[in-house]
Amino acid sequence: MKKYAVRRLLQLIPILLAITFLSYGMMRIAGSDVVEQKMENTGETVSQEIVDAAREELGLDKPFFVQYFSWLANLLRGDMGTSYVSNKPVFSTFVSKLPATLLLTFVSILLTVVISIPLGIWAAVRQNKATDYVIRTASFIGNSLPNFFVSLLLMYLFAIRLGWFPVISKGVSLQSVALPALTLAIAMSAKYLRQVRATVLDELSKDYVLGARARGVPFTTIMMKSVLKASLVTIITLLTISIGSLLGGTAIVESIFMWDGVGKMAVDAINMRDYPIIQAYVMWMAIIYVVVNLITDLSYRFLDPRIRLGGIEQ
Amino acid sequence: MKKILAILMVLCLSVGILAGCGSSANAPASSGENSSASSDAASGTKKTFVFGDNTFNASNEDPTINPHEAYSGWPCIRYGVGETLMKIADDGTLEPWLAESATNVNETTWEIVIKDSVCFSNGRRCDAAAVKACLEHLIEVHERAADNLKIASIEADGQKLTIVTSQPNPVLMNYLSEAYGCIIDMDEGITDDGIVVGTGPFVATELVTDDHLNLVKNTNYWDGEVHIDEVTIRNITDGDTLALALQSGEIDAAYGMAYGSYPMFENDSFKFSGIQTSRCFWGMVNFSTENPSAAIMLDPAVRKAIALGINKQGFVDVLLNGYGYTATGAFPETFAFGQGVKAESYDPEQAKAVLQEAGWVDTDGDGIREKDGVKLVIRWLTYPTRLELPLLAESAQATLKEIGMDVQINNTKDHNTIRKDPAAWDIWVSANVNAGLGDPANFFATYCLDNSVKNSGGHHSDRLEQLAAQLDVTFDVNERAKLAVEMQQELLDDNSYIFCSFLRMSMISKANVTGLEAHACDFYELTADLDIK
Amino acid sequence: MSGTVTVRIQKIKKNTVKGRLIFFLILAVILLLVTIFADRIVPYDPYAQDLSKSMMPPSSEHLMGTDRYGRDMFSRVIVGAQVSIFSTLALVGVISVFGTIVGTLCGYYGGAVDAIVMRISDVCLAFPGLVFALAIAALLGGGVGNAVIALAVISWPKYARVARSQTLALKNVPFVLAARLSGCTSLQMILRHILPNILGPILVTAMLDIGTMMMELAGLSFLGLGAQPPTAEWGNMMSGGRSMLQTYPWLVLSPGLAIFVTVVIFNLLGDTVRDYMDPKNSRAR
Repeated sequence: MKKYAVRRLLQLIPILLAITFLSYGMMRIAGSDVVEQKMENTGETVSQEIVDAAREELGLDKPFFVQYFSWLANLLRGDMGTSYVSNKPVFSTFVSKLPATLLLTFVSILLTVVISIPLGIWAAVRQNKATDYVIRTASFIGNSLPNFFVSLLLMYLFAIRLGWFPVISKGVSLQSVALPALTLAIAMSAKYLRQVRATVLDELSKDYVLGARARGVPFTTIMMKSVLKASLVTIITLLTISIGSLLGGTAIVESIFMWDGVGKMAVDAINMRDYPIIQAYVMWMAIIYVVVNLITDLSYRFLDPRIRLGGIEQ
Repeated sequence: MKKILAILMVLCLSVGILAGCGSSANAPASSGENSSASSDAASGTKKTFVFGDNTFNASNEDPTINPHEAYSGWPCIRYGVGETLMKIADDGTLEPWLAESATNVNETTWEIVIKDSVCFSNGRRCDAAAVKACLEHLIEVHERAADNLKIASIEADGQKLTIVTSQPNPVLMNYLSEAYGCIIDMDEGITDDGIVVGTGPFVATELVTDDHLNLVKNTNYWDGEVHIDEVTIRNITDGDTLALALQSGEIDAAYGMAYGSYPMFENDSFKFSGIQTSRCFWGMVNFSTENPSAAIMLDPAVRKAIALGINKQGFVDVLLNGYGYTATGAFPETFAFGQGVKAESYDPEQAKAVLQEAGWVDTDGDGIREKDGVKLVIRWLTYPTRLELPLLAESAQATLKEIGMDVQINNTKDHNTIRKDPAAWDIWVSANVNAGLGDPANFFATYCLDNSVKNSGGHHSDRLEQLAAQLDVTFDVNERAKLAVEMQQELLDDNSYIFCSFLRMSMISKANVTGLEAHACDFYELTADLDIK
Repeated sequence: MSGTVTVRIQKIKKNTVKGRLIFFLILAVILLLVTIFADRIVPYDPYAQDLSKSMMPPSSEHLMGTDRYGRDMFSRVIVGAQVSIFSTLALVGVISVFGTIVGTLCGYYGGAVDAIVMRISDVCLAFPGLVFALAIAALLGGGVGNAVIALAVISWPKYARVARSQTLALKNVPFVLAARLSGCTSLQMILRHILPNILGPILVTAMLDIGTMMMELAGLSFLGLGAQPPTAEWGNMMSGGRSMLQTYPWLVLSPGLAIFVTVVIFNLLGDTVRDYMDPKNSRAR
């Protein structure tokens, strides 16, 4: 078990190498660089000598491989470099954005679970009845509204009409996290509650449920003990993917609510071609994925006896 | 007579110093918070002002308020922390600010007299030596500034500053009015957060890059009483959030709102302050012979038809809701060097006639003209980060289609790479500040000459090169304006550059805010005049 | 509950399912027909600008109002279906089929190939989509087709993972084991026993993805990928009208309504197809 976890974590190394190399290459293909982006954003222009000098200072004039390997060498010495844009150390910049993203992830996942699981089960139990249709219609609406639309509606309702929450966040606080988290939770719940419904329906139609009911086992017991447990495999797979992408930051929502998290940082960095920050972000994403997937795989074991550890590994 | 006046003025000013800097002599240095606290006690109620801005962030090169770094001087000057020696008026002329006068002794020597009354917010007097220390640090660490200013040496004597340049630099004082020219107290230095001590009406107390900046009133301000006690600048990059924050009252004023939100504020609860700027939306024609469409773009009739076929007035009135100005040349007519140029105006009938005459005829009836088997297709390269640009592209696409031209838009963030490939585009349309410092030279040097960095279209004119060389050594402002007008006409006559419109820069505030005014060069936002009634 | 009763209930269920299936199929076909013949049924030229009619609110003349260029929104929404629906369907189709095949094979065979494919999918999932999209935009240029490619490359692993975990769960279930013991070839095993049983969740995911992918495609247009002006495309129209939600709401609501209707039709169709193909139903037959 421990060995398995260690082996999985070791896989992180090739992934990190592949992914950082890939992102370095991709950004190169994408053209432009930080010096050019800065010129464009300010709308002013400077002479070619200054542009060249700025590039040389950042090492952008060197061949691609030299740049990548010197970055890698620095990394191995524990130096993640400094941002091309803010000139601040990458590591501390990154760490300063983490709390906001962690809080947003936690609250929105919590809201999603609280909304989607009960509603999904309720819809499944009442399949093709009025309740089912109402819940599903709500999920369609949630699913076809873009994030910016939902956030504007929530802002309008809760910040302007009711005045409960602020439009712009004031630091990392529960009051400020409410609206961005709800925006994300609405979109995710719309998806999940339908998955939950589908999975629960699947389980409900299985023979063991019919059998249990025939034997007079109370419906709630069947739901809690068997159906829900069996449905958890699917739900956890989906949740894992969501937690992964939430931890990677949600650029649109974060920038709409001025929530100073990882996603906003990443999009800014990508737009500015701020390579050191992008690399840190890409590594963060890789780590999240490997760790979160490991946790999921391990949790399968406890939840679903059909999957043996060996089954996952082979 | 003049002498007597001068003496009187000096006397008055020195009284001013005693009142201004002297009052703070007993206050501890660098004590923004202390001094504001004492003023609270005196006045009882605190006036606070929250300003939402979409530019105060690192991706806009404004991570801090340290003028000696990249473009961070912009927030320094905008938010009233720093001030420059001269100020650029809305007509592009220079006015004294920290400096009382600036005289050009000879081609490379300038004598600048600093006003006696000026002092830093920590109470230190801002004399020539302080300015010298600041400028020397600037040219040491700021390549763009060093390159612009071409300063060889600086000498300080009391209030008199003597600058010697390494070569004739007619626009030295314009460049010193750039945001990086903010005079800061180098004895205080620059904190790790990028906070500096300047001479402006506000003193920075806290700065978090990409998030906010807190300011307090400068109780030592040399140029009058400051009315607002505390200011917070919030970075809000999303246009809708900015609008909603103003609606909900979380901010008192906003900079950088999207046009689409304007109607919400066109009522008595809010007010607009707008002004024409030199940020111009314009197109550059590709003259390269390597371009597969060279047969089209090198035809003067086609270029003329494009110039005739763009409905600038409609674009400004309807698509920009009237928040813009049509352009003739590269510079607004509010500047002396923007007056008297002539260009084609919207006339679809004439455009059709010009094309017809040149042999461009629609033979296959698809609405698009052809000549010698070549379809009249124009590849329009532009980018989405300036939201007016896609609007202009789509509007031009429709009006040019009417005269038989097929415009294919390539609206991409990647335009700066694409424009370097002469075979990939026919007209490159961008938005740029053409005369941010009240002088025309930089525009031509950047876009129109043989050695220009961004002359991607490969336009060349002997006459233009000649005039540009002349401009480089002309000191007289009127002469420079004349040359600039002639140069623009040169560009417009063969329709190699097409200027469409200028941006109207607007700030929207709650109705009770006074003294918040937009300026043409976009440097001055928060001043001592700012107040909340 | 006796056996016959169960069978009868399931028959009734089956019939209503069939009815619903036909109903939603008809709706989907109507939607597709409208899409195909969009050019011929629009009341106005969706690309004709008339600045004097800019931003007109919905009226009998212009059912959904006009946009800032004075173009008829209703016509643009109808024509917009072409790009929006076809490109989204193509995208969802490609990623769900490819992802399911890969995921099922990985789950069924396991081993080194599985490990490698899953690491690749890890890289795809972990890799920031924006970086990738920018690179694609620079490599291939703009256009809806390239946007579809960019999104496909980063979205297929989602399906692969769902399919794989479902396959793993099924692999050791008695009826599958029994089938294997009775000499089914691997291909038969996958086609007959695994795929039909995992199709439900996949189909639901795919149908739900339609709305999301429509918006993602629109998001890419901001990078210069995706539809270029003046092409009418729903997601694009919606984000374009974004700052005018309070002032000119019809600019956002009209394409929004179109997306909603499409999402609902495809979702309900997906649900019904899932019910119809449900092995419980077929076993009862």
